[in-house]
Amino acid sequence: MTTQPAKAAGGARSAPRPPWRHRYTAISAVSAICFIGLWELAAATGAIDPQFFPPPSYVWHELERLVADGSIFDFILVSTRRVLIGFVFSAGVGIPLGILLGTTKLIRWIVEPIISIIRPLPSLAWIPLSMLWLGLSEEQKYSIVFMGTIAPLVVFVTDATMRVDSIYTRAAQNLGAGRLRIMWEVILPGALPSIISALKVTLALAWTCIISAEMVGSTKGLGFLIWNGKDLSNISQVIIGMLAISLTVLALDTIIRGVEHRMLPWHRGQDKR
Amino acid sequence: MASDRPIIRAENVSMEYARGGEVVRALGGLSLDVREGEILCIVGSSGCGKSTLLNIIAGFLKPTEGRVLLRDEPITGIDTRCGMIFQEYALFPWKTVQSNVEFGLKMKGVDKGTRRETAAKFIKLVGLEGFEKAYPAELSGGMRQRAALARSLANDPEILLMDEPFAAVDAMTRQLLQDQLVDIVAKTKKTVIFVTHSIDEALILSDRITVFSSRPGRVKAILKNDLPKPRSAAAQLSPRYLELKSQIWDSVQEEVLQQIALMERIQR
Ligand SMILES: Nc1ncnc2c1ncn2[C@@H]1O[C@H](COP(=O)(O)OP(=O)(O)O)[C@@H](O)[C@H]1O
Ligand SMILES: [Mg+2]
Repeated sequence: MTTQPAKAAGGARSAPRPPWRHRYTAISAVSAICFIGLWELAAATGAIDPQFFPPPSYVWHELERLVADGSIFDFILVSTRRVLIGFVFSAGVGIPLGILLGTTKLIRWIVEPIISIIRPLPSLAWIPLSMLWLGLSEEQKYSIVFMGTIAPLVVFVTDATMRVDSIYTRAAQNLGAGRLRIMWEVILPGALPSIISALKVTLALAWTCIISAEMVGSTKGLGFLIWNGKDLSNISQVIIGMLAISLTVLALDTIIRGVEHRMLPWHRGQDKR
Repeated sequence: MASDRPIIRAENVSMEYARGGEVVRALGGLSLDVREGEILCIVGSSGCGKSTLLNIIAGFLKPTEGRVLLRDEPITGIDTRCGMIFQEYALFPWKTVQSNVEFGLKMKGVDKGTRRETAAKFIKLVGLEGFEKAYPAELSGGMRQRAALARSLANDPEILLMDEPFAAVDAMTRQLLQDQLVDIVAKTKKTVIFVTHSIDEALILSDRITVFSSRPGRVKAILKNDLPKPRSAAAQLSPRYLELKSQIWDSVQEEVLQQIALMERIQR
């Protein structure tokens, strides 16, 4: 009986949506087409220098070249792989550590100074050290992603853990749960929505890390593509590299949102209200 | 049904909280016996230490002085024999009704099949069949509190500690929940300590009613509630009901007035 009002409310809300959404998409599409058209026109009339600011048709030719030799796909894959591997390590360490810090004062006191030293460092600052230790290997790329994301991730997760309402812990204890069970059954799921948000933020950070690492020391990847375009004064290549980063990150975001939706089924219920 | 041997005995229990360099004395040497199988209601002005006492019995807090015995043994830590029902329900939002109700059994290592059966039994008992797969956010306040009751009962505690459990639901639902609780307690033979700020609620539910003094909390009065059961709406119009009600009100009123005077003195 009580589920009905929720459904009715959802129906009422989604009913007027489609026309709006179409209009929204249409406006966006027209705006994009106008932008590209004006850009092309400006180059054709000589208002802007195509060498300096290549029009869409130049960029398109360059893209055809990069697609034909397959390098654009290679580079997307290489960068994505580096981001994901480094990020998996970071999450694998950062999430358990964050939960531990959030639940155990003593460990928090021990680890917090280290975290606060690492946290302000931009990922670029790690590049020299990582190169000296690991050369120009793939491991060096992973380590940059790791070092650039671990501190903020740990801080986010610690915070999320500490914000889980203590009433759930008390309820679980009252039903016979011990420390470990509480971490697994209460703290982790209770903090999960915030942890997933933290992962989204740090994944964007991971991309910043990898692009800068590839600009400085790599012969592959999207960061290299952009940097190499600069060295060759091939501005079309630079633009394609930037677009490729943007689209790849967007695609990953969409995937994560799907995963989030599946992992937090109880949140869907709350969205309805 | 109610035997004379106390299942819970609070002996001279005091509780002091430190709050910003100041000491708040919540309980001041409280002694109280709870008999097996009874529903004991606690009424008292807000801030007089009712929740504190329940938290001590549940083992969440250690009293500064005195002790609480459960079947003649001192309570030293969190004890699953005392099932707590919180006003805020405290259902796990990330678990379905079914998994919430199964939680205590899972902690005990009961196998999945038995867990499912037991949970089904208690979900039926509180009248939530058909909502096994629902998440707490999808339920109304009254349904959440029934789910919380089922979760506690499935863990088979001897005593239910209920801290103003129906304060957050609407009046109609509250009446239904009260009837249901009396029914369920009779069926499952639990002892219940029920904190409420409603004298009517206390009169409908209880076998005995204790009135707490204002802070620091102590037992100011204990009354036997001899109203005939079941206590339908008609019972609330009987002369005896009104007599008990005014008796309790007089007792509570003094404490409330004292509490107000105390607050005014603090504010000045
Ligand atoms: N954790 C705490 N720290 C400090 N003071 C507290 C704490 N818990 C309760 N108190 C104080 O103790 C008194 C009794 O609280 P409580 O037991 O919640 O009262 P009741 O449930 O009867 O309203 C109140 O004055 C309250 O402010
Ligand atoms: Mg209270």
